[in-house]
Amino acid sequence: MSPLWVVAVPAAGAVAVLFGGRLRAPFLSSVLGGVTWVLGLVVALPALGSDQLQTYAHASVPTGTTEVTLALGVDGLAAAGVLLATSVAFAVLVYSVAYLAEDPRYPSYASIVLIFTAAMNTVVLADDFFVMLVGWEVMGACSYFLISHHWERQDARAGAVKAFVMTRLGDVGLLFGIFVLGLAVGSFRISEVNAAAVAGDLSTTQATVGMLLILCGVVGKSSQFPLHTWLPDAMPGPTPISALIHAATMVAAGVYLIARLFDVLAVSAAAQAVLAVIAAITMVLSAFFALAQDDLKRVLAWSTVSQLAYMFGALAVGGYGAAVFHLLSHGAFKALLFLCAGSVAHATGTTSMARLGGLHRRMPVTSVTMLVGMAALVGLPPLVGFFSKDAVLGAYSDAALHDVTWTGWLVFCAGLVTMLATAAYATRAWVLVFTGPSPEGGRVPREAPMLMRGPLLVLGGLTAVGGVLTLAPQVLEPGATVGELFHPWLAMPAAVAVMVVVLLTYAEAWRAEDRDPSGVLGRWRPVLAREAGFDPAYDRLFVVPTHWSAQGVVAADRDVVEPYVRGSVSAVRGAGAALRWAQNGNVQVYLTVVVVGAVAMAVVVGAVVA
Amino acid sequence: MSWLLPLLIATPAAGALILAFWPRNRADRDAPMAGLVVSAVAFGLSVVVALASGTEAGFQLEQERVWIEPLDVSWHVGIDGISSPLVLLTTLLGALCMASLLRGGGPRCGGERALVAMLLLLETGVIGTFLALDLVLFFVFFELVLVPMWFVIAWWGDPHDEPGRRRAASVFLLLTVIGSAVMLAGFLLVYGYAGTFDVVELAERGGEGIPATAQVVAALAIGLGLAVKTPMWPLHIWLPDAHAKAPTVGSVLLAGVLLKMGTYGLVRVWLPVVPDGARDVAPYLAVFAVIGIVYGALACLAQTDLKRLVAYSSVGHMGFILLGISTLTPAGINGALFANIAHGVITGLLFFLAGALKDRYETAEMAMLGRGLYGRSPRLAGVLAVAAVASLGLPGLAGFWGEMLTLLAAFDPIAELPRATYLVCMAVAGVGAVLTAVYFVAVLRQVCQGEPAPSGASSTAAAPSVASVVSAEATRYELVVWAPLVVLTVLFGLAPGLLLGVIDPSVVAMFGGGA
Repeated sequence: MSPLWVVAVPAAGAVAVLFGGRLRAPFLSSVLGGVTWVLGLVVALPALGSDQLQTYAHASVPTGTTEVTLALGVDGLAAAGVLLATSVAFAVLVYSVAYLAEDPRYPSYASIVLIFTAAMNTVVLADDFFVMLVGWEVMGACSYFLISHHWERQDARAGAVKAFVMTRLGDVGLLFGIFVLGLAVGSFRISEVNAAAVAGDLSTTQATVGMLLILCGVVGKSSQFPLHTWLPDAMPGPTPISALIHAATMVAAGVYLIARLFDVLAVSAAAQAVLAVIAAITMVLSAFFALAQDDLKRVLAWSTVSQLAYMFGALAVGGYGAAVFHLLSHGAFKALLFLCAGSVAHATGTTSMARLGGLHRRMPVTSVTMLVGMAALVGLPPLVGFFSKDAVLGAYSDAALHDVTWTGWLVFCAGLVTMLATAAYATRAWVLVFTGPSPEGGRVPREAPMLMRGPLLVLGGLTAVGGVLTLAPQVLEPGATVGELFHPWLAMPAAVAVMVVVLLTYAEAWRAEDRDPSGVLGRWRPVLAREAGFDPAYDRLFVVPTHWSAQGVVAADRDVVEPYVRGSVSAVRGAGAALRWAQNGNVQVYLTVVVVGAVAMAVVVGAVVA
Repeated sequence: MSWLLPLLIATPAAGALILAFWPRNRADRDAPMAGLVVSAVAFGLSVVVALASGTEAGFQLEQERVWIEPLDVSWHVGIDGISSPLVLLTTLLGALCMASLLRGGGPRCGGERALVAMLLLLETGVIGTFLALDLVLFFVFFELVLVPMWFVIAWWGDPHDEPGRRRAASVFLLLTVIGSAVMLAGFLLVYGYAGTFDVVELAERGGEGIPATAQVVAALAIGLGLAVKTPMWPLHIWLPDAHAKAPTVGSVLLAGVLLKMGTYGLVRVWLPVVPDGARDVAPYLAVFAVIGIVYGALACLAQTDLKRLVAYSSVGHMGFILLGISTLTPAGINGALFANIAHGVITGLLFFLAGALKDRYETAEMAMLGRGLYGRSPRLAGVLAVAAVASLGLPGLAGFWGEMLTLLAAFDPIAELPRATYLVCMAVAGVGAVLTAVYFVAVLRQVCQGEPAPSGASSTAAAPSVASVVSAEATRYELVVWAPLVVLTVLFGLAPGLLLGVIDPSVVAMFGGGA
């Protein structure tokens, strides 16, 4: 079966949902989510663990130079991506039925989620750069529309614009990177570009320039430093789409793309080094930002940024299997965490941790599933996060201790610091939300309805048992042997260290007057809470100058119009005189005069007089 | 079959003529319906023509007759993959404009008969320009368009600002007439050396017989005339006012097809007739083009009037098209021609929407539209969102492919051109693309999102008005009129091969060896 179906069915379904009316939308979209999930299984299961890309070329488009092909391909990596995308999308569509039960905008919401699912599947399955790019950008547009779902809220409008513009900024680089690689190889087929890289037909310069440009797009999409500031501001969107788009799939598409181009990345040591530096900076920075946030979703957003950097770090030092493992693992437990946060928001109407507390007794299912998610995030055995984080740290330590590269040491040190910071912020968040006294007043929170609990339990179950992938690493990295992704000598001490930090954080929460363990950060706490002032700095550096240039352009145009009008009138008179004169002169002189006159009219009269 | 093209050109002209003799007492009432029938016939004919011409390279359905023998001017028309999409676009937009006039979409100051006749005359001129294969014939049709456009803007333009609309119309006429005069001079220069006005013959010679200096002068003259029309920065200043003051149908046709006459002329005449001159001028064209892209985007950021904003966005989009042409590669020319069509469809839609808003609120000032259109008129706002996202070049919609190809071509222009210059141009154009995204999301934020405020109140005032809720929504009829444009936007976005498959063979045949 052509994998085109897992793209076409949700896309066509989106139209049906949009025009199907408010009453039918929840049921119809859930069913379509289920159908897409089944189609995903049919496409993915036979290909799991395969390193052969089964391609399907549907049509080719002439461009005048290298042609664009509507080509899809399935291999082990694509299969893993399809499973992740369709599963989380299905869970989110079911969850949304209860979460947005009162929402009059359900048809457009569900329809955009379905288009998004089609787009993510397109990215995962594309075997042509431009097919990939279509999916990539449509995802971005869906993200924009869904962040601003509550468009009467100022923060939702601002967050949506910021997310869209910052990712588009990176995508310009991505487009140019595609030009570099595609024209160097003579094909925009991703499989052929990879094959050329393996065969040595791609020079180091071409690979470096191409991959660095593609990294721009990846950094934008995955919210990595220095374009890391948009993801936390995207949190005013409905929480289910935060789980789907801003945790499990779209932001992870950057990781997926680098994994897809792993052979090209391998040609360029420079690109690997840049990726490692970006990953190291991002993972530490965002983990510390997560320590001092008040909003639960914002904590999770920074956590996502940090965990994506973990995956990039692994890819930068050659840990392909580890990165893919953590991609899947993070997709499951972070989607779980966001859906838990949604459950909290649904029950209490807020995600501000200052206004939350003591929810454990009221919402035991949410509390326990969120605890499972947090434990996976910090990497406690036997949850999936323990194994995938160990795989990543193992890749780092291999690069640092065996290959002794500076990039290896960089990501290894950064990875260890991040691991400890993660333990602290995850503990802090859970403690603040679920323990301690309930805040005074407000409505009495109730446990989430069945349609929301179901996805929580399923994702919680997957998070609990996902570690078995360690026993089948060939699913993640074709040809890997059992035990290759597990490093007991690293995992055990790491788990102990994490446990110590968790207990220390818990103890501090117990001790502190406001129960907030981030008090130990002292005067760094406000700095981290303000996220180190990147936003105001970017504002001064980019937004304000753009605004001034825009004003300048308008002023210039306004002041030029008048002289132009006057200039045109005199030019007409001049042309009349020239014509009389040209009747007995030769054509060339006449022409020169007209041309010079016209140029003068455009440039001199316009600009100088203004 | 050679009678097909003359018939196509004559159909709207005949329509205009019949309207002139229509019984006076019922002319204004019947005119829009008559216009719709005539333009629908023209659209049908153009479909037949497009099908008959196929996707083979080279001119089809040619017809050649001696016209003015002493001047060596002939009636020579023909169609190929470069012109057939533009002809289809013209007749489609023409028919949709008539359809919108039929029910309330038109200006409310009477004189429908004259307006419809002018629009039909304009359509004749545009179709003729796209089909002419003789320089003088091309010039005649090119000029034929100006006068009806002047009347459309000056008589049926913004009813609240009579001096403003007359001035806008006159600036438009003056600048384009001067441009055309310079262009005609270029044509005469070409004739002086080559001894023929025939575009096909001139293209086959590839500039042979015209010395290098004369080619540069001719390329400058012809290029300048076409650049005014396109418009290229800094010759764009007639455009924002003309658009802001024109009635909806005028804006749609102006942006949708009139601007395309400039870029089409560059591909049809400028590149093949004076190729050596074009090669010398091309890098300058590229630089002006990217300045236009960034300049247009920055200007849009500061606009408060939706119609002016869409007008300025055209300056940026035409910049991409000029950049593509200036690379002299098949990819760039393909991209330019694709972007031509995409811009006509998307910007035509945007002007229909801006016009619909202006009809409802008597203003296109975004702050006066009253925010929250997603809530007050979800269908209209939904179409506006699609059009905005398409216009900012989102892959998967029509706006992307043309601009992508022009950038790709700028990355790899023909060997004779300075590559470094083009790489800088490409990078700057990329920044312009980001700025384009910025102002379109800003439009959606200001117009479609936010707490609904009563129309006419400034955006800071709150308190939603129930009265403006009902009448604000798009009518079923309007949606039907816009639907073809929305469908084409999605179709060309998902299947660019539909259009490139027609354009590419002709472009490669003509410019395959480098222009």
